[in-house]
Amino acid sequence: MINAVILVGGIGFVAALILGISAVTFAVKMDPREKAVLDQLPGANCGACGFAGCAAFAHELTQNENAEMACPAVNEEALQAISDVLCRELGGGTPMIAFVGCKGTPEKSITRFSYVGPHDCRAAQIVAGGAKACQYGCLGLGSCVDVCPFDAIHMGEDSLPHVDDLKCTGCGKCVDTCPREIIRLVPANANYCVSCISRDSAKDMKAYCQVGCIKCRICENTCPFDAIVVVDGNAAIINQEKCRKCGLCVSVCPTGVIEQLHVQAKAYIIEEKCRGCSICAQVCPVDAISGKPKEPYVIDQGKCVGCGLCIEKCPADAVERLSI
Amino acid sequence: MKTFKGGIHPPGQKSLVKDNAIVEMPLGSLFFVLTQQHLGAPAKPLVKKGDKVLRGQVLTEPLGFVSVPVHAPTSGTVKEVAKKVHPVTGLLAPCVVIEADGNDQWAEGLPLERDPFAMSAKDLLSVIQGCGLVGMGGATFPTHVKLSPPKDKPIDTFIVNGAECEPYLAADYRLMLEQPDRIIKGTQIIMRILGLDHAVIAIEANKPDAIKVMENLVPPEITVESLKVKYPQGAEKQLINACSGREVPSGGLPMDVGALVQNAGTCAAVWDACSRGIPLIERITSVTGGGIKEPKNIKVRIGTPLHEVIEFCGGLTDVAKVVFGGPMMGIAQYSPDVSVMKGTSGILILTHQETNIDTFSSCIGCGRCIDACPMSLNPSILSKFGEKGMWEKAVEYNLLDCFECGSCTYMCPANRPIVHFVKYLKTLQREANAKRKEA
Amino acid sequence: MKDIYVTSSPHIRSPEDVPWIMRQVIYALIPGALVGIYFFGVPAIKVILISTLACIMFEILWQRLVGQPITVKDGSACLTGLLLAMNLPAGSPWWLVVIGAAVAMILGKHVYGGLGNNPFNPALVARVFLLISFPVHMTTWAQPRAFLSNTADAVSGATPLGALKTAIFEHGTVAAYGDFNLLDPFLGNIGGSLGEISALALLLGGIYLIGRKIISWHIPVSYIATVFIFTGICWLINPNMYAPPLFHVIAGGLMIGAFFMATDMVTSPITNKGKVVFAVGCGVITVVIRLWGGYPEGVSFAILIMNAFVPLINKATGPKKFGAVS
Repeated sequence: MINAVILVGGIGFVAALILGISAVTFAVKMDPREKAVLDQLPGANCGACGFAGCAAFAHELTQNENAEMACPAVNEEALQAISDVLCRELGGGTPMIAFVGCKGTPEKSITRFSYVGPHDCRAAQIVAGGAKACQYGCLGLGSCVDVCPFDAIHMGEDSLPHVDDLKCTGCGKCVDTCPREIIRLVPANANYCVSCISRDSAKDMKAYCQVGCIKCRICENTCPFDAIVVVDGNAAIINQEKCRKCGLCVSVCPTGVIEQLHVQAKAYIIEEKCRGCSICAQVCPVDAISGKPKEPYVIDQGKCVGCGLCIEKCPADAVERLSI
Repeated sequence: MKTFKGGIHPPGQKSLVKDNAIVEMPLGSLFFVLTQQHLGAPAKPLVKKGDKVLRGQVLTEPLGFVSVPVHAPTSGTVKEVAKKVHPVTGLLAPCVVIEADGNDQWAEGLPLERDPFAMSAKDLLSVIQGCGLVGMGGATFPTHVKLSPPKDKPIDTFIVNGAECEPYLAADYRLMLEQPDRIIKGTQIIMRILGLDHAVIAIEANKPDAIKVMENLVPPEITVESLKVKYPQGAEKQLINACSGREVPSGGLPMDVGALVQNAGTCAAVWDACSRGIPLIERITSVTGGGIKEPKNIKVRIGTPLHEVIEFCGGLTDVAKVVFGGPMMGIAQYSPDVSVMKGTSGILILTHQETNIDTFSSCIGCGRCIDACPMSLNPSILSKFGEKGMWEKAVEYNLLDCFECGSCTYMCPANRPIVHFVKYLKTLQREANAKRKEA
Repeated sequence: MKDIYVTSSPHIRSPEDVPWIMRQVIYALIPGALVGIYFFGVPAIKVILISTLACIMFEILWQRLVGQPITVKDGSACLTGLLLAMNLPAGSPWWLVVIGAAVAMILGKHVYGGLGNNPFNPALVARVFLLISFPVHMTTWAQPRAFLSNTADAVSGATPLGALKTAIFEHGTVAAYGDFNLLDPFLGNIGGSLGEISALALLLGGIYLIGRKIISWHIPVSYIATVFIFTGICWLINPNMYAPPLFHVIAGGLMIGAFFMATDMVTSPITNKGKVVFAVGCGVITVVIRLWGGYPEGVSFAILIMNAFVPLINKATGPKKFGAVS
């Protein structure tokens, strides 16, 4: 009995010794800063940074002094933490999110046949160009959903994918996967996007889709900021840098193809601060502000679309947003 | 009996139509002649809206050596040159639409009379290209290109493909029974072009009367070979392997082992083109399947719309799928407006009982696909790579040797769409290669 | 035109789908099951019913729990239930059978992703689990007696292999086992698991499966040949210490193992070459355990061990493609 205890105990001791020595001699030397940087990265290994995973990118950031922040998934806090660890300022880019450019549900668009085969949009594309009549429309099989590392896109009941903008980091994997390039990255603070990429004429489109862009140009002619244009037979596209989020294009679009991403809080004027200079009324694109000179102006909440131009332009800081 | 390794034995289903003699389909009023009915470079339309055309008149100009023209199937006026649904891709493709005038008048000089055995190989090949001849077994490879192997690849074995291994189809069978002389004479012309003094006509053993007809009629320099009934015996590599024992090397062509194969219908068309100048404007097509009321073997002009063919054959009963070609490698159609092409060996109307529209499950490792594969590949693992889009691994496992015969998919108890996965992986590989070339 | 189907080629399929295959294997097991019922009586029927129903139930429960589509209609749960029953003593208490069914379905199959994804034979995983957890129950063998005799009078005793091991352990020679009667194990008049006792019944089932091309001959023939040759060599060297090879083939779990367990498609190699390698490995390990290991029977362990090597075997024995350029 005592022999057994000594033998097994002895084996255990020798094993522990071997493990301990190995842990020291074969230890991988890692810059402690690199570990700290890695802890701040999301760990999804999505590859958007261009490196083979978060560990590789953490290594690059730490070792290469000139490396720029290429991870779209770090928030402000993490960015600041990484900058502190590496003792250099790392600027984040404009946060981007994915936007799905198709509204063709089975009710609103024509399906030519019943497809049977792998549940993958890229595979379905091979079979007679996909079941949807529109060659630019979403096939609804969810390749984008499968590839998202952040669980930020899901197939809806309407057979279209929907992006969860709280989870989406703009890594772009869904953009690369979609065989029809329907998904694109837009700034996270964008409010209006055209939900169609079709290059078909209105005449062709009438046969198979009720909600596509028919290139009528009414939006182009209505926009006071030249932010939406129809070029070369392409569907209308909004220049997010010019867009002032007034929403006028949405109200005139005949097919309803322009999507509103967020509900914007409306504005109200603080009576005590208002000098009655009328600048807000002049810039308002929907004529929601009225008043007499030198008297406090008033915003008609019914007309206000929450674009925020009046807030920006008021010299007295007298306009604020209502809390939603 | 000679055969190859692997393969499957699907029910033949030929009894639906094999005893029906060839029937000529009456001409309709509109013909849709797609400009791309061949593998290779496109062909440019030479006609425009309003032009008057005659039967056999050339409509397009080939843009390259590996290209052939198409010809007007009947006389009439060009209604438009527009984009119509192409049966192979399912997408829109350029098409010459002809409104027939009812006269069916031949183009000037056609048909002519000449002795093709007095013509040189070069002239014969020029005629073959000019008459728009392509492989009529379905692959539609330009015949003049196949018959022009480079000097460093000498051909010593020419095989006429009378196997018709696909279930349901009986077009080549009826041609062998009813017009064997055209096939034999076409074979002899090809022998002349290749400079051979012997040839083999290979026929599957389920066509004993065709074998007998051929055996009685062939001259001594042509042998008739009876092959074991197995799909895909009619596939080029398997046919060469069964008849001669040779294996076409991976990535290579039949000419690499000195062999050359032509479909029996193509041989007949070669005879018509070389002896009478007749271009490829009609073919024999088996219209069959459980869903068509009167299955027929029709002699039909290319460009004839599908709905006219269906009407001529009594109309539909229950339809789940409409397939151009055979059930193993043919292409399912969604548009009733597609038209018959040079390579349309069959039009199948399959009922819900005949075809399979169930979903698939995981691979159970039964190995039937491996036993079935005529190229001795591993379809099971290719299908698993397909589910993940892993095309590089698939290429390592010989993805590019697969010619999509469908034997694996037919056998799979889990109903896995293996051929679809293979096609998908090949698409990914092509896209990745294109991206690499750009960079 | 939405009611027309468009898919990739091919457009026809063999009617031999997964449920069909499962059904054929169940038919092939029926002779063995009937012999078990004949010799062990009503308890055998109970074990078969409980095992089959429990397996089906656990599959449905699990798939519902994890939100997957219910696939019990493919027949694989029913088949595993029957195979598990055939591998248990006929007198097994109901709770043992239910635990076995749970282990087979969940630990043996569904944690891996369901049919086609498990590396180990689920019925054997359950059997070995039960053997290790409940050794007494799993080695209490009812002796065979005529079907209609009273269940309460069931006598328990050893299986032939069990008696053989005991004879060698206690007496150092096989002579202590007695006469190597081959007729009893061939027909089934011996102690053992519910389904393994009759070599004849299992052989008939196996021939049916090979004839119907559900399984190929490679695994059964290689497995049995390996056991025969290995034990034969030992017996020739020292007939006092080793039983005759034919005895080893017929008595014990080799017949059911070689025809029904090692041939499980999911857990055996996919090429014929690979199957031979796999079966030879099973044979070697079976004999090593039987002759020199602590257990009298080695089939279950041998198959499970070889299951672990199947991915490697598959990689090493892939088919050589047509037209390979050397």
